[in-house]
Amino acid sequence: MRYFTQFFAILILTLPNVSVQAQQSEPLVVVVNKANPVDELSRSELIDLFMGKYVAFPDDSKAIPVELKGEHEIKVEFYQSLVGMSLSRVNAYWSRLHFTGRKRAAVFKPNENELIAFIISNEQAIGYVPQSLITEDLKVVYILNE
Amino acid sequence: MNKSGLVIRLAIVIVFTAVIVGLITTQIFFRFTFLNEQALGEQSIHQLYNTVSPTASIASYLDDEELAKEVVNGLISNDIVTSAAIKTDTLMVKSDNYQLSSNTLEFVLFSPFQKERRVGLLFIKENEAYLRAKANSISTTNTIVVAIEALIITIISILVTYYVITRPIINIGKALHSISPGTDERIDKPTSHQKSEIGQLVDDVNGLLDKTEQQMLREKSLRDEVQVLESRFRMLFENATSAIVLVEPQGDILLYNETFESLVEKLGLPLKKNYGNYLQDLFIMKKELHEQVQIAFANNESATAELELISYQEEQIWVQVVVTLLITDDFQENYQITLHDISKRKQQISLLDQKANYDNLTNLLNRHAAEQHLIQLTATRVPFALIMMDLNDFKPINDIFGHDAGDELLIHVSSQLMKSLRKADILSRWGGDEFVIALPHATKEEVVNVCAKLAAKLSKPHHLSQHNKSVFVTACMGVSFYPNDQVELLELIRAADKAMYFVKKEKCANKELYLAFAADDANLKKNHKAQ
Repeated sequence: MRYFTQFFAILILTLPNVSVQAQQSEPLVVVVNKANPVDELSRSELIDLFMGKYVAFPDDSKAIPVELKGEHEIKVEFYQSLVGMSLSRVNAYWSRLHFTGRKRAAVFKPNENELIAFIISNEQAIGYVPQSLITEDLKVVYILNE
Repeated sequence: MNKSGLVIRLAIVIVFTAVIVGLITTQIFFRFTFLNEQALGEQSIHQLYNTVSPTASIASYLDDEELAKEVVNGLISNDIVTSAAIKTDTLMVKSDNYQLSSNTLEFVLFSPFQKERRVGLLFIKENEAYLRAKANSISTTNTIVVAIEALIITIISILVTYYVITRPIINIGKALHSISPGTDERIDKPTSHQKSEIGQLVDDVNGLLDKTEQQMLREKSLRDEVQVLESRFRMLFENATSAIVLVEPQGDILLYNETFESLVEKLGLPLKKNYGNYLQDLFIMKKELHEQVQIAFANNESATAELELISYQEEQIWVQVVVTLLITDDFQENYQITLHDISKRKQQISLLDQKANYDNLTNLLNRHAAEQHLIQLTATRVPFALIMMDLNDFKPINDIFGHDAGDELLIHVSSQLMKSLRKADILSRWGGDEFVIALPHATKEEVVNVCAKLAAKLSKPHHLSQHNKSVFVTACMGVSFYPNDQVELLELIRAADKAMYFVKKEKCANKELYLAFAADDANLKKNHKAQ
């Protein structure tokens, strides 16, 4: 596992241009478990899920948003393209809600792979990944940066 | 103080104006202040909205009641907000006293993430009572300030007006009131108004007073002149020796002087207003006066005549009357009639006439006058008998009893002769005790009768009272006839004279003889023979 992480780190470091290239050109996609009945989500439905308005899919089945921890590049890009806000503002939003007693239903994962793994293993999960990381076990319901 | 005096009126007007203007400005100011406060309030509410809108948006977006309550409570803690509410599709959070009304401001809340997505409404109702109270308090302060300002301006206006305008004008008015026009009194110019309009007014008033004085002086001197002239005219008119009368054409008297008045009085007539045209009723010969006036006026001259006035007194009054046509300034005809008393002159003339033609003693025609009458008769070829008479025995009476007795006897004889003659007959004292009598149209028989009568009268005795003695005279008469005896007057007289002397001579022989005719040749021859 450690090896794997190192590998990834080297990969990112050795291929900075590729990585940048990927960030620039590669669109982010929102994916769910292949078994999830939801095939497509609107932008509003997506915002409502991730900004805490609803914790269910439009068909009223429970939804578990999967987030990346910290200030991950993908996370930054995701919020920027979804609600046009910087990550700090999104965090401020959440911290304000925190005082009113509202609990966030999201699950936090340290990296994309774990995030993908969680989605593959959980039918209710929903998360965002770069398009290149899509596997057959995942179902794309929304494409950002189009 | 005078109720309608300048100061009181001015004060009333200024105070009224100040009060009304103050009230109006206060009301307007209140209105403006209120509207301004309202606008400010609305602006504040907008600012409040801006402040709370992120939180309110989040609350609406999430339908979070707690967060919404927080926003609403935060809003109503402001003075200018009465009530507030947040409404979403599923949620309605409001303050206790919230009620939807017209003056409630409504704000749309959008999703914090999608600016086009409406998530709810925010209602804020402003506190109108608070705004009104605030406006009121500002206005009250303003009203007090305006009132104080108005009071100060009023007092200053009244004082300034009083001291600068009203008092000087009142003083000028009083001064003018006490000045009598035409005198040398003048109004003093107020020291503070040497060059102002009031000073100008005083100058003008004084100028007017100057003019008035000059005018009055001029009028006075003119009046005096007229008075002097009038008194002179009056003196001239009233003291004129002639009666002067101004008469209208119909005879109405317009003006007369005292002389006229006394003349009418002298005539014994009543003083009337009208004596007919040209005072004609006063004259005996009205017609002559009228003719004279007509002739004179036809020649554009004054009519002049000497006429006798009707008089109820014994004295005859003659006047020289002058009638002059006067045309007045307004083209009316008037007559100026002057009556100049010429009675005295007339009297003198008749006296002279008497002296010249009559014998002083007997009042019979004198020889000269008798000759004139006889010439007159011969000139007109009137036939007449001429009797030459001479008294007998007159000289002895004169000698014995004196001249006075002689004169008395002559007067007696004259009156006796006068009684026996007709009016047309001429009786004259030819000189001494000689008389000449002319009898026009007399026949010889008539002459004989007259002479007999004369002789009879003369022979009656006359009592001389002074000597207590009766005397009588006889006369010798010679008669000649014109034109039968003589055509020449002198010859005629001589013939009568001869006949008379014949009688005188024959008287010694024939005491009864007293009459002889010149035509009686025998007598004359006898006379001649005797001579």
